[in-house]
Amino acid sequence: MSKTLHKTLLGCITLLAFVFLYVPIVHITLASFSKDIVWPYPIRFTTAAYAKLFEGTIYHDALWNSLLLGLGTALLSTTLATLAVLSVLKYRSRWKGLVLFLFVAPLFVADVLLGISTLILNGLFLEIPGNLLSAILANTVRAFTYALLIIATQLYRYNWKLDDAAMVFGAGPVRTFLEITLPGIWPALLGAFIVTFILSFNNLDISFYTLGAVPTMPSVAWGSLRFGIKPELYAIAALVNGAVLLCLLAMFILMKSGRVGFGYKAGRDD
Amino acid sequence: MTGALFRRWLKLDANHRFLLLTAPVVMFLLAFFVVPLLSILIVSLWRTESYQLIIDWNLDNYAAVLTEPSYRTFMLRSLTSALIVSVVCVALAWPIAYFVIRYGGRYKLLLVLGLAVPFLTGIVLRVIALQGVLGPIGLLNLGLMQLGLQPVQSLMFTKTATVVGLIYLFLPFVTTAIYLSLLNFDFKLLDAAKVFGAGNIRAFWEVTWPLNWVGTVIGFALTFVPCLAESVTPRFLGGADGTLYGMAMGSQFSATGTWALGAAMGVVLFVVAGLTLFAISRLVDIKRSGFTGAGSRD
Repeated sequence: MSKTLHKTLLGCITLLAFVFLYVPIVHITLASFSKDIVWPYPIRFTTAAYAKLFEGTIYHDALWNSLLLGLGTALLSTTLATLAVLSVLKYRSRWKGLVLFLFVAPLFVADVLLGISTLILNGLFLEIPGNLLSAILANTVRAFTYALLIIATQLYRYNWKLDDAAMVFGAGPVRTFLEITLPGIWPALLGAFIVTFILSFNNLDISFYTLGAVPTMPSVAWGSLRFGIKPELYAIAALVNGAVLLCLLAMFILMKSGRVGFGYKAGRDD
Repeated sequence: MTGALFRRWLKLDANHRFLLLTAPVVMFLLAFFVVPLLSILIVSLWRTESYQLIIDWNLDNYAAVLTEPSYRTFMLRSLTSALIVSVVCVALAWPIAYFVIRYGGRYKLLLVLGLAVPFLTGIVLRVIALQGVLGPIGLLNLGLMQLGLQPVQSLMFTKTATVVGLIYLFLPFVTTAIYLSLLNFDFKLLDAAKVFGAGNIRAFWEVTWPLNWVGTVIGFALTFVPCLAESVTPRFLGGADGTLYGMAMGSQFSATGTWALGAAMGVVLFVVAGLTLFAISRLVDIKRSGFTGAGSRD
């Protein structure tokens, strides 16, 4: 198979996948400007949903709680996962098998199950009502595994001799970490942070059982289903997507002009 | 002060350093993961009567989950759809990740971030939006009719719709996992194989595929486990006979209030997911996957 054919074929699959992923997003954006959001075509244009959005406080609270939940979970899980990956890859121990099993175990437990088990423990045995903190902690269990895997796949072939070399030349473990390890692995940590943030920001299954009466974006969406989906939710989604796509567009322009590489170096990464 | 700590650190052997560094993580997981799971195990051995839990140790819940034909149907249905979804996702994710790595050039990061953007919209909204796309007068059918083609009548409320919905939700996970694996893959190895006379296909199957096997299995697991327990997608896309195990389990905690039975269903789900992934991970040959950590570095 020639190289161009290979490239075209792979490119077509990628393009189709992106279209597939973005069609529902386009639908949400179109529907948010439409009078009938369930079957919006052909579109009868209105901005009523956006006007209502700025009146309602439930959405502000929900968005704020979702942000807190996402940031708290991302910060906690990335920190824990970094510690876990570094120690697992660096040191030999006869306990390693057991510890590793515990680290990977949340992967075998579905979100619903994590949520329900936390609900049983908190509600039944400890009699703590649902709250944001226990939602952050329960989400962190799930997000920890994702962060662990993202960081581990990146560090799987990391050259540990660099750290040994720094230690030989007299750097302490903290300084070695900050000056040698961290600059090498930060893309992995940032990736883990972004992914865990996005996942917990919108987590429904775990948060549903642990949050109690605290509203977040997905729980408001779930709650509004009983009376049919609210146009305001589509409007928020459209705004969030618009903002993020603008950021990506800005990145694209900066990358195209070659002003900022975001980790890319010509010649090395081609 | 750091100096004293450092000297003490140097005196420790690798085993103690390992235990000391992992202690916070282990403690966290014990408190917020293992203890809740133990509590679900305890409740699964109790009994619920008119919304009240009664402490009465027995295995009846497990007997019900394992013998009731409807639960067995739900479980089989969930297993087949989770397997189909994971295999299709891996098959689609490989070319995408490969394209981004080989031809993405300076826009690699942008392309991968682009895959994650749909996740900023919650799962409920996206599944509802899929209804609007796949439905009788949705975007897909309107597009087909614009082109003068026959609309697809029976796309909504079928098992196919559930599978399409699940692929939609999980494709980015698998793609990211394989992308991250390929990111660390040295493509010079592929060139070396070709220099020594391997064809494109042989070089892929004997070099690229085995060396990225760990990433592939991780991507598979990231799809398989949540799909097995998925309850939102089948509810909105699956129709009347599309009930999956996760839906049946969720309703034990809300509609019917039979917590003990639901807990037993959860334990069964945990075991099934674990066994399937264990069987798949047995296929990994760790030595062929290029592992460099844990003392094997030379």
